[in-house]
Amino acid sequence: MKPVALFVTCLVDQLYPRVGEATVRVLERAGCAVAFPAEQTCCGQAAFNNGFQEEARVLGRRFLDVFADAPAIVAPSGSCADMVREWYPHLFRDEPALGVLARSVASRTYELSEYLVRVLGVDDLGARFPATVTYHPSCHGLRGLGLREEPLGLLRAVRDLRLVELPDAGQCCGFGGFFSIKFAALSGAMLSVKLDNIEASGAEVVTATDVSCLMHISGGLSRRGSRVRALHLAEILAGS
Amino acid sequence: MTNRPPRIDLIRNVERALRDASLQRQMGKAMPASRKARADVVAELPEWESLRSTAAGIKDHVLANLESYLRQLESQVSALGGTVHWASGAAEARAIITDLARSRGVRRIVKSKSMTTEEISLNAALEAAGARVVETDLGEYVVQLAGERPSHLIAPVIHKPTEEIADLFVRKLGVPRYERPEELARVAREVLRAEFLAAEMGITGVNFAIAESGTLVIVENEGNARLTTARPRIHVAVMGIEKVLPRMADLSVFLRILARSGTGQRASVYVSLLTGPRRAGETDGPEELHLVILDNGRRRLLADPGLRTALRCIRCGACQNECPVYRHAGGHAYGSVYAGPIGAVLTPAYEGMERARDLPFASTLCRACADVCPVKIDLPGMLVELRARAVRTGLAPWRDRMLVGAWTFFMRSPARFMLAGDLGRLAQRLVARGGKIERLPYPLSGWTAHRAAPALASTPFRAWWKSRQGGPR
Amino acid sequence: MNRPVPPGDNPTADPMALFIERAEQVGMSVITVGTYDEAVERAVALCRERRVQRAALWDTPEMDPIRDRLLAEGVEVLDPRGSFETLAGAEIGITRAEWGVAETGSLVISTGPGKPQAASLLAPLHLAVLRSDRIVPELATLLERSDPLPSALVLITGPSRSADIGLVPVLGAHGPMEVAVLVVMASQGR
Repeated sequence: MKPVALFVTCLVDQLYPRVGEATVRVLERAGCAVAFPAEQTCCGQAAFNNGFQEEARVLGRRFLDVFADAPAIVAPSGSCADMVREWYPHLFRDEPALGVLARSVASRTYELSEYLVRVLGVDDLGARFPATVTYHPSCHGLRGLGLREEPLGLLRAVRDLRLVELPDAGQCCGFGGFFSIKFAALSGAMLSVKLDNIEASGAEVVTATDVSCLMHISGGLSRRGSRVRALHLAEILAGS
Repeated sequence: MTNRPPRIDLIRNVERALRDASLQRQMGKAMPASRKARADVVAELPEWESLRSTAAGIKDHVLANLESYLRQLESQVSALGGTVHWASGAAEARAIITDLARSRGVRRIVKSKSMTTEEISLNAALEAAGARVVETDLGEYVVQLAGERPSHLIAPVIHKPTEEIADLFVRKLGVPRYERPEELARVAREVLRAEFLAAEMGITGVNFAIAESGTLVIVENEGNARLTTARPRIHVAVMGIEKVLPRMADLSVFLRILARSGTGQRASVYVSLLTGPRRAGETDGPEELHLVILDNGRRRLLADPGLRTALRCIRCGACQNECPVYRHAGGHAYGSVYAGPIGAVLTPAYEGMERARDLPFASTLCRACADVCPVKIDLPGMLVELRARAVRTGLAPWRDRMLVGAWTFFMRSPARFMLAGDLGRLAQRLVARGGKIERLPYPLSGWTAHRAAPALASTPFRAWWKSRQGGPR
Repeated sequence: MNRPVPPGDNPTADPMALFIERAEQVGMSVITVGTYDEAVERAVALCRERRVQRAALWDTPEMDPIRDRLLAEGVEVLDPRGSFETLAGAEIGITRAEWGVAETGSLVISTGPGKPQAASLLAPLHLAVLRSDRIVPELATLLERSDPLPSALVLITGPSRSADIGLVPVLGAHGPMEVAVLVVMASQGR
């Protein structure tokens, strides 16, 4: 059994706990022993992306402390995994001990689908999800972590799932953390394009590796009165 | 120094752009088409990534040896009979060129597209000195007739539909109303031919300047730059210091990546390699060649380790074509010469964070720009750096400080985190319906203006986990 | 100074075939002839077909037979050293192309006394005569040579174009609307 520490992420914890539950089930089904270090809170990305690097460092120090000895850290979020991998080493480059720890922890931090496929070599979890599904590749996962085939491979292995292509899939949904509030109308316009593409795909369900995107997309779908559901990849893989 | 222009009100500009249905339609057509053209022509070259690295490497090498290459360029151009002028800033550049025009009795000037000349606001200065300046690039000509600024690095009038251009020609040129682009282009061609024949001075930018030979390279599709440099007796070429390349052999990499990235072509229609003024026995080409080498904040940028790589930029426009923010905002919203992702870096760098403080924040950091930049400029990384500088120098708005301050406070421990959750669950009882909240108060009201918000879950994950530990699987 | 070396293109087995394909893709018409005499015939035929009254030809040896034939047909052959205004009245400009570049389908047009840019720029139709053994696979080959540079060397890849108005592509924005290339097989060429 591979020991894994779950970084559930602040948004999943408080807004979408079922995604966390599904993540645990999926990891266990893949042969992992999942630990949940209860001292965890947030990776600090929202502060960092908004220019508040000191505040991000505060939260980063906590993260590094909590996960210092974890053999592998898995998060159901491409953007949080990207924050740790890409930016923690940069944030702590001027602090000798923390710099080393940051690089070490970064090298052990994964987004869920990349952990399953690249580390465990698993792409079939025996899941069944009868629906037409389209996949939105969240930007940080796609361009930060290079997640391309991993989520798609996992989805293709799900029984009775019909995967349809999302037109112009790589276009950002417009969330961007505080951007969604600072530039609310612009965020809304980008969302509108994404929703048009989701509707054009003919899918009943849109999925992604990040609840941040999904929160924004489902909020928009709701306003349109759309029947399309937004589900995190983990929820589909858990067969729920 | 110069009187500081006011802060660029990006948020308001963007909102205005979003309400402009015509702009949205134009951008909605143009940007996806440009992206596809680029993707198709790049896919033809399996060595694309290698070309990017090579180009980035050559540019970095140049930047690390800039003064020496500039001196070599100067010496070569002078040996060919050209004159090199050094301009530390916009005012000096304007003065050099207007003095030249005045001293040579120049009254009519033709110009081909140059963002650098836009940067220094050259046209107005020349007009004030009594010369008539005509933009000859088709899009720039339209923009000039309309009294506007260009909105895109490569396609200056991308924001204007044909009907508006037809009306403009009727109003400004007194021609009948032509409906079709070919007819409008024909009108412009005739009008501008006459201008080329009458002009005493031609002003161009420079895409690349080759140090080893003193060759100026101008890339275009229309032929107006060729006319601008072949006919008038004086050619003034304006270049930023970062445009110099070491050798002719280095040029091929850049020509291969420039057109493919910017316009989805394998090659632009015309690449002029100009080496000195007209020679004995020749009947076209300028009698006098002047090269104005402009700093205008570039050396300061060069000395800034976090931002200096922005000087690799070859002005292809690919980052603009990919950027979803640019697609909705259009070029004018950025309030300055350079727009889109590169503009969000250069405008704060050249005009100061005071004025341009919002530009680096107008991005979701999606990284689409970094993926396509042919010289691998880490634009998202620079936006992050500029945001940090904005915060460190006290330019972050009060609302941001409040939100981030609150966020950090509640995220500092699980107890506070749970407390925040509990408080939220309490507060939302009044407004949450079916797991959703339709109206959030300030400072989060922007969210619900455009989408529903999720309600906090009644049982957060960690509570579930804790109860699960009681009865393990 | 340590300088990165640009990667080579895949050297094409048949640069001429690639050149023709790519030149046609950018809207140039390419006619291949076996001898220079045929090239002269084709050039004259083109002028006849287009009812050319004024032609701007370079003053170079290979243009002589073309000039003589055109004069014989009553076409006014403009002095290439004449004014821009006069040359702007030509319906066709005929020049040599120094090189052809296969990768992009480009012509390399040099300039010099008697070889003005005007001839490949002003008339609505530009005819370039290119020897087949002067077609190279890629531009890098040419740029690495240390031939002395003329005051203006122009790479031409197609007719003049713009899509600035309404995003609709238009030909002949300022330069020629049409470019035709006569590729002369090398063994009999000049």
